[in-house]
This record gives sequence, C-alpha cells and structure tokens, in this order.
Amino acid sequence: MAVKQKEFIETSIPGGSQQHLTRYYIFSPFLRIFHWTMVLCIITLFATGIVIMTPMSMGEGQYVTLNEWHLSVDWIRNLHFTAGFILSAAFLFRIYGYIINKGDRLLPRFFQMKFWDDFIEVMMHYCLLKYSHKQFLRNPMARMSYVAIYGLIVVEIFTGLSMYFQVNPNGVGAFLFSWVALPFGEMGLHVIHHIVAWGIFLFAAMHVYMVVRADFMEREGEISSMISGTKILAHLPDDINDIRDSNGKIIKG
Amino acid sequence: MEKYDSIWDMYQKKGMSRRSFIKACSAMTALLGLAPAMLPKVVKAAEKRLPVVIWLHGHECTGCSESFLRSSAPMTSDVILNMIALEYDDTLGAASGEFFEDHLQEVMKTYKGQYILAVEGAIPADPSGGFCMVGGKPFLNQVKEAAAGAAAIIAYGTCAAWGGIQAARPNPAHALSLNEIIGNKPIINVPGCPPIPEVMTGVIAHYAMFGNLPPLDNKNCPKQFYGNRIHDTCYRRPFFDAGMYANDFNDAGARAGWCLYKLGCRGPETYASCGNMRWWNGLSYPIQSGHGCIGCTSKNFWDNDPFYRRLPEFAGLGLGNIDKIGAAVTGALAVGITAHLATSAVQKKKRDQKELEEEKKKAEAAERRSRGKD
Repeated sequence: MAVKQKEFIETSIPGGSQQHLTRYYIFSPFLRIFHWTMVLCIITLFATGIVIMTPMSMGEGQYVTLNEWHLSVDWIRNLHFTAGFILSAAFLFRIYGYIINKGDRLLPRFFQMKFWDDFIEVMMHYCLLKYSHKQFLRNPMARMSYVAIYGLIVVEIFTGLSMYFQVNPNGVGAFLFSWVALPFGEMGLHVIHHIVAWGIFLFAAMHVYMVVRADFMEREGEISSMISGTKILAHLPDDINDIRDSNGKIIKG
Repeated sequence: MEKYDSIWDMYQKKGMSRRSFIKACSAMTALLGLAPAMLPKVVKAAEKRLPVVIWLHGHECTGCSESFLRSSAPMTSDVILNMIALEYDDTLGAASGEFFEDHLQEVMKTYKGQYILAVEGAIPADPSGGFCMVGGKPFLNQVKEAAAGAAAIIAYGTCAAWGGIQAARPNPAHALSLNEIIGNKPIINVPGCPPIPEVMTGVIAHYAMFGNLPPLDNKNCPKQFYGNRIHDTCYRRPFFDAGMYANDFNDAGARAGWCLYKLGCRGPETYASCGNMRWWNGLSYPIQSGHGCIGCTSKNFWDNDPFYRRLPEFAGLGLGNIDKIGAAVTGALAVGITAHLATSAVQKKKRDQKELEEEKKKAEAAERRSRGKD
C-alpha cells in the first residue's frame, strides 16, 4: 500500500477541468475481509433463517425432492449454523483490525459537540434540504451506522449461540451463553433473534442504497474503498485527525 | 427421628431377605439413571432412616398431586409409606381441621431444620387480599413459616416454580412463585403442568436416598429430568429434519404423525422428560397424541400464546407475523429509496449546473483581468 500522500489522479469532474485529488488509506484488510465475509454470511443467514422459521412444506412427496436438492430443514439448519460460526469468527478478526489500525476505529464521537453539529448537517443533506455536506473520511451518519450494525450483529451472535448450545444444557457452551435466555426465556430469544434479523436485512438494504448514492453524488470512490481500502478526496477531510498518528502525520497503508 | 425406620428396617420387620432388598436397590439405581457402580451407595442410603416431609398446597388445582398419585416406578404408595414420612398433606391426610393444623405446628417444631418442604401452587403476594386462605390464615404466612425450618424445599409444578397460570397476564391475585417469596433456602424446581409422575417421585426419592439435592441446572431444575429439549428427544424429530410437517390438524401430514413445528409446537424451547420417559409408564405424551407441546415446564409459558403459531405474540406488542411485517417494511423502503434516489439525481444535476456556471464566471473574470493587463 505504498501510496504517496499527494498523488494526483484524474477523474471526471463536471466542467471537464482537472482537480487535485488525494488518495487516503483508511481501511485495513481485516475490516475489508470482514466486510465481505459478513456480506456472504448475512445473505446465507437471512435466507436460511426465513426458511427455518417457515419451512417449505408443500404436501406429500415434496420432501423427497427437497432432500435430493439438499434443502431439507436439517441441511438448511446446518448451513445456518456454519454461516453463524464463520460470522462470529470473522467478527474477532474485525476486533483485531480495530485494535491495530486507526482507520478501522472511525466510531461516533458522542461526547463532542462538533460531531452532533456535523451530524445535523449530514442529516439535512440526506433529507434533501442541503445541496452538499462537508467532506469526511467517514461522515457522522456512517459512523452511527457502525454502532447500529455491530450492535445488531452482537445481539444475533449472543442470542444465536445461546439457543444453539442449549442442545446440551450441561455443556461448556451452555455454561457460557445460557444466561442470555434468563430475562425473557428461550421463546423470547427466538422472537428477538428473528426481529433483529429483519433489522439487519433492512439495514443492509439501506446501506447498499446509501453507498451507491454516495458514490455518484460525491465521486469519492465510496464503493471501491471497501476493496482498495482508500478513498479519493478533493479537499482535506474534516475528520482527518482520526487517522493521524501521535506525531500528527497522516497514517498511510 | 427414631420414630421412622429405614427401608432396610422395613424389609427386616416384614421378614424379607437381604437379597430382595438388594434387588430393589438395583432397580432404584437403574431408575435414578445412576451407573451400576453406584449400587453400594444406594444400598447405604436405603439403610438410612426416613426423611420427614411436609407438603403444602397453595394457589393451584391439585393436578400435581393427581399426577404424583399415578407414579408407577417407584410406586406412589412405596414413596409415601416406605421412602418418606409424609407428616402433613391436606389432600392425602386422613385427619383434618384444627387437630391436623396443630399437628403441622408440632412437626415443624420437632423436626426444625430437618424436614423437606414440598410446595404445590403459586402464592398470592398480598396477605390482606383474602386470596388462598388455609385454616383462616393467608397461605403466604404458612409457607414462610414452614420454609424457615426446612432443610430443603421442593417446588412441585409450574405454579410453585414460576407462578404458572395464576401469574399469567393480568395476574389479578398478584400470584408469585416460591422462588420470589423465599430467597435464602435451596429450592428444587420441578416444573410441569403437571410434572411427569415419575419425575415427582424420582426427585423426592433422590433426597430420601442420598440426603442431598440432586444436581441442578441454572434454573434449579434437576439435571437428570430437565437436561434435554423435548425437540431433541422427540420421536418425530426425523420428520422435522426431513422437512415433513403437518400444516393443519386435518391434513395428511397430521394423520401420518409428522412434525408439529408449524402448528406451534413448543418442543424446541421446552426442557422436560416427555420425549424419553413419556407419561403413564411410557404410554404416550402430548406430541405422540397429535397435539403440539405447549411448553408447560417453561417460565411464563401461558403468556407465550397463541399456542398454534410458531412464535408467540408478546404482551401488547401485537407482533403478528414478523415476516409479513418485515416484507411490508421492505416494500415501503424500496418505494422510499426510489423517491430519494430520483430527488437526489435532480439535486445533483442542479448542483453540477451551478458549479459549471461558477466556473464559467471565474473563467470570464480571469479573461477580463488578463485583457485589462494588456
């Protein structure tokens, strides 16, 4: 990732003129690999989860076909569990990336007034009340979405593992996770797990839209940033201090 | 406790041989799910004197006692007459009235700190409410008094363990479970509405044998009886795994005995011995008879209604079918995104035009300046 701090790149700018654009390295491979693992896992988990909730049952004879296609509930549940464990493991790598790389730590600054001022500005823009907003590495809304999605995923992991390990209530897994079921009972876990799954699905739908929109509205390479780890900005972003090291230098990959 | 003989004393008095005593102990070892190597310990325990039991009935239907009376291994009569010294039980007692209540006081005094307290039924929390009076006194006071001197407490049935139907919405009598009333004593929860007869006698037989509580899980239920999901021990589980479901109580799947998961069976969330021990000496259990489990050993099972849908509708939330709500929200979101996208595109076009005009102006200004220099 040997990218110079001031490397000028050409891009299509209205009016055809050229501007000086800078490439900033933000996301570590841990975050990016986690992101795409999460995408695959969430698609699998959501689809299989819906089938587990309401299994296909079309009358006599259909189960033969379903079993031939490996679509029996047994298979679908195993897929669900496998994807769940992969997601849980990947989340640990995400935490490792969070520790080693400043660019993976672009969380909301709840205790700074500036954060909330910027938040209102970005919200105004998203509500179509303002033509544009300041440039950010990660805007306040996007920072809030980290908290939302990781919060939802943590709820899913904990409720899921709690239900899974109850197969053997005297085992180590149940010892570690069965407390999750105590406040609302195991039936409550199923309800929470299911509602939160829909929350994640709706989040993902909105997320995809917002990213595509940001890509064509701002031309900052929003989509490609999750592959290359870099964003291309015309101005020094407002929250550049979040990726400076202790000497004030901008951290490069 | 000289008054009460051990099981071995009983055998000797009846002139039965040591051999038949050991045979009975072997049967007991197998029944309690213990390894054959545990036999000497069981024999040793059976040579102990009988423990005194006080059995109280609170806010309940006495269904648990009805169930208890139908235990076949060990026989209820064996438990009551040979394994324990049942000193007070207002349903089974021959005596009644003031004399019987006095006897309770006497037993509690004589065997203070030694007797087992078995409680059936929930407890109305307000003693002035006038609910559930025993001998003219509130049941709450009686159970607190009896619990104070008990060595161990067994909560028989879902009402005593979790509050049960009495504590379900809207709970007009403010019924509480035994666990919510008594905090400083070990309580064995034996939930079920009612519990399986052999589970009820098994728990008390364990205490009579070994003089201590059976191993308990994190809900204080005996592990040997509540250590498995009904779903994982159900004989219809292969139908679940293969995707063979009854969609309706009248369809071919229901007649063929397929899985009742889609008809709201609570087996996947319920811990009980119904799947492996079954009821009435292994005759049947609810799922075998064609009705889904309603989860009667679970906390708040009565509030997890409706029983014929996969997920319950929690109090006041009116969740209905979560998937339908989710699909509707997704549809609304799609419409919203389309509108937002279209407006954003218009906005961007305007913004770009503006920038273009500014650029033009700048260029014109620069040109003017350069002309001025000339």
